[in-house]
Amino acid sequence: MQKKDILWAADYRYNFDRDLFVNRKTKKAFSLEFVDDKPEEELRRRIGESTADAGWTFYFNSSPSEGAKRELERLLG
Amino acid sequence: MPERTRKDRLREEYFDLLPDIRRVVWNLEAKIRYYTRDVLKRLERYEQLVIKSRIKDCESAVEAFLRRQEGRAFDPENPDENSMRDLPDLAGVRVLVFPKNRLVEVDTALRTHFSGWKSDPVPDDIGTPLALKYYGYCNEVSRKVMGEYQVVPMLIGLFWEVEHSAMYKFREVANSKEMRRHRAGVENALSRFESEFETFVENRDQPPSVTP
Repeated sequence: MQKKDILWAADYRYNFDRDLFVNRKTKKAFSLEFVDDKPEEELRRRIGESTADAGWTFYFNSSPSEGAKRELERLLG
Repeated sequence: MPERTRKDRLREEYFDLLPDIRRVVWNLEAKIRYYTRDVLKRLERYEQLVIKSRIKDCESAVEAFLRRQEGRAFDPENPDENSMRDLPDLAGVRVLVFPKNRLVEVDTALRTHFSGWKSDPVPDDIGTPLALKYYGYCNEVSRKVMGEYQVVPMLIGLFWEVEHSAMYKFREVANSKEMRRHRAGVENALSRFESEFETFVENRDQPPSVTP
């Protein structure tokens, strides 16, 4: 199974403008770079992990700044 | 009045630099045509040397910065983190050469005149250079905008023209394992075609080998 199939099966959809895999229900987003660089095992673990925060969780190789996070949260709704 | 975004500032900087970008691309193209004139004169009828120049358009330049950021989001609180001046390819010239054995000749002719420029070859999937790329300043016309030139096997260069513009907006597809494999397959096939063609041309005047 390819990484994008793993994400697709977990209801992540690709956002072409932002190059992100997004699940609006769980409020998680994976950057294309993160998905490319991390092994499948880690991807599955991140998909399955529960997030305490009520807001969005971004899985990026380098953490986005607070300003960039706010911009993405505003766009993703 | 809505607050100006990072993109707005980059667009403004782009248009401030546009006269310099034009000067660099004209200067670079003129130099490259001049320095390759001897190679052009010696070309056989079936050989080609085509020089194309282009100015990166404003939105592509803004996109180039966005593509460097994961999530394609600028930090609004750090507005000065990027400058259009950092882009090496605002003014670009591509030299397309067929067949490949002329490529070394063109590269050598140019390199002596652009000795201070940085080399940044374009690799294939296993790291072998597919095309040669250099960037630097044409100081006599601009110290703000860099120029870039590429020396590319013509068949690969023409394939890229179609492939890059089709894949530009679809990075997920372009970076997928399948598309990378297909792209490598096309590039390998085109390289093999050129190598085979060169072998044929080299051997065409040889007498056929006689087996005793």
